[in-house]
Amino acid sequence: MALLVLTSIILVTLDLQGSAATKSMRSIFGAVFRPVESVARVVTRPATNAWYGITHYNDVTVENELLREKIAQQEGAAVAAAASVRLSQELLALNGLPTLAGINSVSAQVIGDSPSNFSQSVEIDQGTESGIKVGMPVLNAAGLVGRITQVFANRAVVMLITDPQYALSVKIINAPKTTVTTAPNEDPASAVTIVSVPDSIDPQITVPTVPATSNIAGFTPGSIVAPRTPIISSSLTIPPGSNVSVRETGILEGRGVGRVPTVRFIDATQRFGVVQPGSPIVTAGGSLSLAPPDIVVGTVSRVKERLGTAGPILEIDIVADLSNLSFVRILLYQPITERTAP
Amino acid sequence: MASRWTRLVLVSLILLGLQTTLLNDVRPFDVMLPVMLLFAVTAGTLYGSEIGATAGLIIGVMYDCVLSMPLGLASLVFGAAAYAAGLLPFFVREPTWWTRAITIGVVGTVGELAFPVAQSMVGFGGHFPPHVVVVVVFLVVSGMSIAPLLLPVCRWALKESPVG
Repeated sequence: MALLVLTSIILVTLDLQGSAATKSMRSIFGAVFRPVESVARVVTRPATNAWYGITHYNDVTVENELLREKIAQQEGAAVAAAASVRLSQELLALNGLPTLAGINSVSAQVIGDSPSNFSQSVEIDQGTESGIKVGMPVLNAAGLVGRITQVFANRAVVMLITDPQYALSVKIINAPKTTVTTAPNEDPASAVTIVSVPDSIDPQITVPTVPATSNIAGFTPGSIVAPRTPIISSSLTIPPGSNVSVRETGILEGRGVGRVPTVRFIDATQRFGVVQPGSPIVTAGGSLSLAPPDIVVGTVSRVKERLGTAGPILEIDIVADLSNLSFVRILLYQPITERTAP
Repeated sequence: MASRWTRLVLVSLILLGLQTTLLNDVRPFDVMLPVMLLFAVTAGTLYGSEIGATAGLIIGVMYDCVLSMPLGLASLVFGAAAYAAGLLPFFVREPTWWTRAITIGVVGTVGELAFPVAQSMVGFGGHFPPHVVVVVVFLVVSGMSIAPLLLPVCRWALKESPVG
């Protein structure tokens, strides 16, 4: 028993130190085991399919209907969004700022989940031969999925963002509530109403006309009516500077199986205001960040206020469906913190 | 004739294939059946603590190679669980197949729950899943159910080969 404990501790220590021996051991075992796993997958596929057929048939049918409806709704929105993204990237490029479009990527297929009840990772079918390195961010069509933690020649392990080991700096884009301000004016007829909406400008000018009378002596009021003069009563929609979208950074942390990730270290400044559920969360970027900026992560689902200056904790809904990952995209962006000296 | 350890590695390789494919996809009540751990525990109940611990170490290292956890963690847990299962004769004078099945179910469950503890010991922040009660019940029942299949396989894999 003592020998067992000693052997295990030595192995754990070597692996945590990043020993080349343990890495090559995993790599060799992976090469030996991969054909066995492929055969096992082929042999057990009918049983797996039967299981999914029994347990998920109704869900899949309902989901299929919902997805068809959702696709129909989103087709139009997607075109507009794509145009906006293109404009945004052009603008960023014009200003010499980094964009996701400038980062090469590799597509990969998810070939396996973590065979454990306590680990949140998936395995993909691309590795160092495709240029993948440890630390690279992994996305799917919806948003951020995780990061590469282990790489072999033709496969790699992706730690999902729900894993307790995962942490990433993110930005919360908070849109303050719409406010309506009425500027006081002695003449109620010409009161100016300012409706401030943070992210849209919708100028509309209404031109009501009122009868104007002449006060010149000799003229009988009412007998001569001057031409109708327009008085401009402005109802302008403008975005005041204090109400535009505000960004604040925090740290996203996974919390394990069945628990939504949270964002901490939000500085609850007056300008940032009260975080609204539904506010989008994107990666913060920066030289030490694990991912480039502006990758969509999710939206705020719940705000848990804390006493004092600790700031709120945000629970988030991840946009990527981590339970049904099929294809992912690996950005060939290796953070500085993960780079090893040659 | 192949030695008992060679047979153990080959059988474990097949079980690992099942573990990473079929059992990984088919998760009743959202719980995966840890057949590798149960196989190590079976070795302990059949051949005692020492053989069990060695078998647990070998099976655990193989399992470690496909996990993203540090190498050696599963071998520690599997070895300890198999060692504990090997203590069965101290409590039951002549173990029958069903006492072994109960032992496999109970010790296998304890071993599976020891994973998060071992993870937290090496700074990997192990967390119990929210449905831990379901995990425990399922593992005990499924461990006892699968034991009659694992016992003959393990008995064959670890039987002593005649010399010469």
